[in-house]
Amino acid sequence: MSILSILNLAVSRKVEKPSLHAVPERALIELHGIRKTYDSGENAVEALRGINAEISKGEFVSIIGPSGSGKSTLMHILGCLDSPTEGSYWLDGQDVAAIGGGGLAKIRNQKIGFVFQTFNLLPRASILKNVELPLLYAGVDSDERTERARQALELVGIGNRAKHRPAELSGGQRQRVAVARALVNNPSLILADEPTGNLDSKTGTEIIDIFETLAAKGETIVIVTHDPAIAARTHRRIRIVDGEIVDALPGEAVA
Amino acid sequence: MILLESILDGIADIRTHMGRTMLQLVGVILGVASIVATFALASAGREQSQRFYRMSGGIAKIFIWNKQSGKVTDSARAAASKGLTFGDAMAIRSQAKEIDLVSPVISEQAVLRFGDREKTREISGVVPAFSPMNDFKIERGRFITDSDIQGATRVVVIGTDRANELFGSDDPIGKTVTINGTGYVVVGVMEHKFFAFGSGRNALRWMNRQIFVPVTTIMTRRGESLKTGRVAFMHVRMKDTKRAKEAVQEVEEILKREHGVTDFEVISRVERLKQNEEQGKMYDITFMVCGIISLFVGGIVVMNIQMASFNERIREVGIRKAIGASGLHVFGQFMAEAVLVSALGGIIGIFLGRAFTTGISMLTNEPAIITPEVILKALVFAAGTGIVFGVYPALKASRLNPIEALRVE
Repeated sequence: MSILSILNLAVSRKVEKPSLHAVPERALIELHGIRKTYDSGENAVEALRGINAEISKGEFVSIIGPSGSGKSTLMHILGCLDSPTEGSYWLDGQDVAAIGGGGLAKIRNQKIGFVFQTFNLLPRASILKNVELPLLYAGVDSDERTERARQALELVGIGNRAKHRPAELSGGQRQRVAVARALVNNPSLILADEPTGNLDSKTGTEIIDIFETLAAKGETIVIVTHDPAIAARTHRRIRIVDGEIVDALPGEAVA
Repeated sequence: MILLESILDGIADIRTHMGRTMLQLVGVILGVASIVATFALASAGREQSQRFYRMSGGIAKIFIWNKQSGKVTDSARAAASKGLTFGDAMAIRSQAKEIDLVSPVISEQAVLRFGDREKTREISGVVPAFSPMNDFKIERGRFITDSDIQGATRVVVIGTDRANELFGSDDPIGKTVTINGTGYVVVGVMEHKFFAFGSGRNALRWMNRQIFVPVTTIMTRRGESLKTGRVAFMHVRMKDTKRAKEAVQEVEEILKREHGVTDFEVISRVERLKQNEEQGKMYDITFMVCGIISLFVGGIVVMNIQMASFNERIREVGIRKAIGASGLHVFGQFMAEAVLVSALGGIIGIFLGRAFTTGISMLTNEPAIITPEVILKALVFAAGTGIVFGVYPALKASRLNPIEALRVE
């Protein structure tokens, strides 16, 4: 079945800002024939079976699907934590499928901001240090790191907690810290994996509100979720079943 | 800059795991301390024996002894050989180009009497060369002179112990002492020699117990001629210690020509020193191996604890990697910690080693020397231990797959 017509919709939403780079202009994310096979002895498992998709700069997208559908695998590949077995993945004008381990760390650092279900903050470091960490690996000097981390914390409404440790914060506050950490190095893409999964619905809604605000400011955000209510708030949802995209609709259409 | 941050991060981690870090430290501290202590004691021992050689005439000295071959197959000429003679000494002095001092010594038991004191003591017939040969100087009066040798005079020079024994607090110079019934005038008293290997006993006491008379005086009294007069042993001194082998060979050739057989033994201190050095090296290696084994054990502790620390921090490593830490960053973080702990352990170990050394030194009365070289070696070993044993856990951490690491609870 063809999904190209729907993908074209997405392409048309491309940002208007004229590109200074080479023509033809690409989407921020282009996935072509992405396959991922896990070799476990005789029976190889195909987690992804030829994913084609484009996500433009400034889009707010959700990836949905039942467990075992391959959405986590897709998320890992989008996040440059893993490389596809086959296919090409263009991120911000660069084929990252061809880049090896060390290079991927740099891409993760500079182009991607992660938000995890379990927050994944360093428990022994202060909130401020946690948010500074991506800048540390980017080689930003100490004063600038602190300044930018403070700004990011202000942006997610938690600037007054900079000196605290993660354990002293509520779940919602911790997830705000994680969002601040994802933002701090001005990534091309913010990837959120079930960001509300460990939060009550009210707090979860607040976090999605933050994502919405960020999206309105032009950030590109991809949320992996199984929660239809959250998916409905994104601009577009990509549904995955058995390692294939089966459906891609504007979020409003399913709401 | 990242490196510095890694180190700071490492320090922060060390502080949060004090107990674990202490264990790690103890391993390294004990290793380094034992290295410092053993090296200090070993180098002190070597220093001492060198000083001893210097005080008793230096390393240019060559010893020549009589050696009975005792073989039934000895030729008549060999059997007739009277052993070392004064003639041999004269032959060496006139022929050997590598030798600048020759000191033959005759010794025998004699009865000494002064006033109402009578003692049976060993006396030595010597030549003037004896004094420079053994670095044994006269304190008061004069030593045996060439004219004493030529005239076979009845003069005697005594060591401090003998001076005390015979004359008490009186001045011995000018007094006449009876040796085997004949009067000898005391013309000199030797300097007091003292050297202790730590235990307190004077290793040079024999020098203070010397009674010197001209060698020719003894020979004359025995009725022996200058040429054939038997001597107990000889010391000769080589001109150049770098040519020790040649000097020994030359002396051996001259003596063999004189005797016809090898009924003597020639040993140079240079050779003996070499043997000692070789032996010293053995000790050094033994000590070194012991030290390295202790450090190795310390290293295993470091590795164990780094592994524990790694297991505890798998998730942390996953997080760091997800937000952009490269393998090198993670490697640096773990290494910084291991090296820091080891270097710190090294420094504390040096102080503990010093304490050990002082303790052992006080118990055994053996001196100990801690040289900057010892300290440097210990530090290098300690840091090296940290590096070697820190590498595996650090490598493991740096190679961690972030996806799997993040799954760990």
